[in-house]
Amino acid sequence: MTGESISSVRESVAVHAWVDGLRKQWGEEPADMQRRVEIVQRFCTFVGREPDAIIEECSREVEGGKRIRIKKRRFYSEKIDEFQESVDGDARAQMRAGNVVRSFMIHNGIFMQGGVGG
Amino acid sequence: MEFKEVVGRRRSIRFFEPDKPVEREKIQVILETARLASCAVNAHWLRAIVVDRDRIPPEKLNQLKTPVAALTLDLAPVHIYFFCDLGIVKRIKGSRLRELVDVGALAPTHGWSDKFVDEFVYPQILEPMTNNVQGYLAAAMADCGGAAQNALLAAFDEGLGACLNTPNPVLTKQVFGVPDDWVSLWVMLVGYPAESWEAGGQRPRPPFEELYFEGDMNTPFKRDEGVVEKLKAAGMITRPAPLPERRQEIMQLAERLNLPM
Repeated sequence: MTGESISSVRESVAVHAWVDGLRKQWGEEPADMQRRVEIVQRFCTFVGREPDAIIEECSREVEGGKRIRIKKRRFYSEKIDEFQESVDGDARAQMRAGNVVRSFMIHNGIFMQGGVGG
Repeated sequence: MEFKEVVGRRRSIRFFEPDKPVEREKIQVILETARLASCAVNAHWLRAIVVDRDRIPPEKLNQLKTPVAALTLDLAPVHIYFFCDLGIVKRIKGSRLRELVDVGALAPTHGWSDKFVDEFVYPQILEPMTNNVQGYLAAAMADCGGAAQNALLAAFDEGLGACLNTPNPVLTKQVFGVPDDWVSLWVMLVGYPAESWEAGGQRPRPPFEELYFEGDMNTPFKRDEGVVEKLKAAGMITRPAPLPERRQEIMQLAERLNLPM
């Protein structure tokens, strides 16, 4: 992904699914949703992938449903760690940024956990 | 705490205070309670290895993490790994069952004698049972489950939170170097809860009458609402999930512990 606008990221299927998931979890769309989308957009640029492509890469269709691709999930989990280290700010701010991306993955059905700390 | 209240307050706690240590004495209470669980032929298959999260080498801790339980392993200060020692019956050859005869728990009034145990029960029943691994494992694990449940309840009685997770059995055996005949069962994560004791409310359960029957499997055991009310008053049946404040609680926990939402 290189330089797509926020609006195009926001229109992707995966970002829609994420926003819907957050809305369900929070009861409303988080007030700082725009900032969150920007963080995901920066992550997409960081890994050079579209949001939908990231989610598609992490799972595959099998008989009876979807299966998570373990290696890809691990790959993106590590990329999120790298990404958060590249973010300006203290450890807590970095982890917050990483958690935004994890949240994007989680609400798209890609199981993921962060560590404790920050 | 009263027994019914302990049962009512137990639920799987997944948010722990990561930096609040658990007193060693409380861990001992948990283990003592597991030891007193009911157990077939008095064999006692359950084994436990207690791990202090901050003392185990980080590489071993990481090895023990499964994708689903990685975070809870980080949050809980104490991890108790439960195993089923399948070798115990052959090692003790029925001697603990005989102890029950000797102390009068199993009495001649019910047909029990040392001779019966030595000449019949062990050689004819127990020893052959151990050769049918599938059946033997199911029986032994059922008893381990009872002991683990005792341990869980003890944790809550001590004011702690706990939950059972299934570790990767291969990695667990590797990390702890346990004998081949120890089967890895569960890891009980223990700590002080970071969430409220209700933790979102009592978890949904299938209807009572779908689970329990009277006389035959087609006649549901009729639930007496008067008993239900008594159990509510005793604190065993508590507010059911979902609780209206749960969403806010999770958001606050995520914020405080720096977790994704």
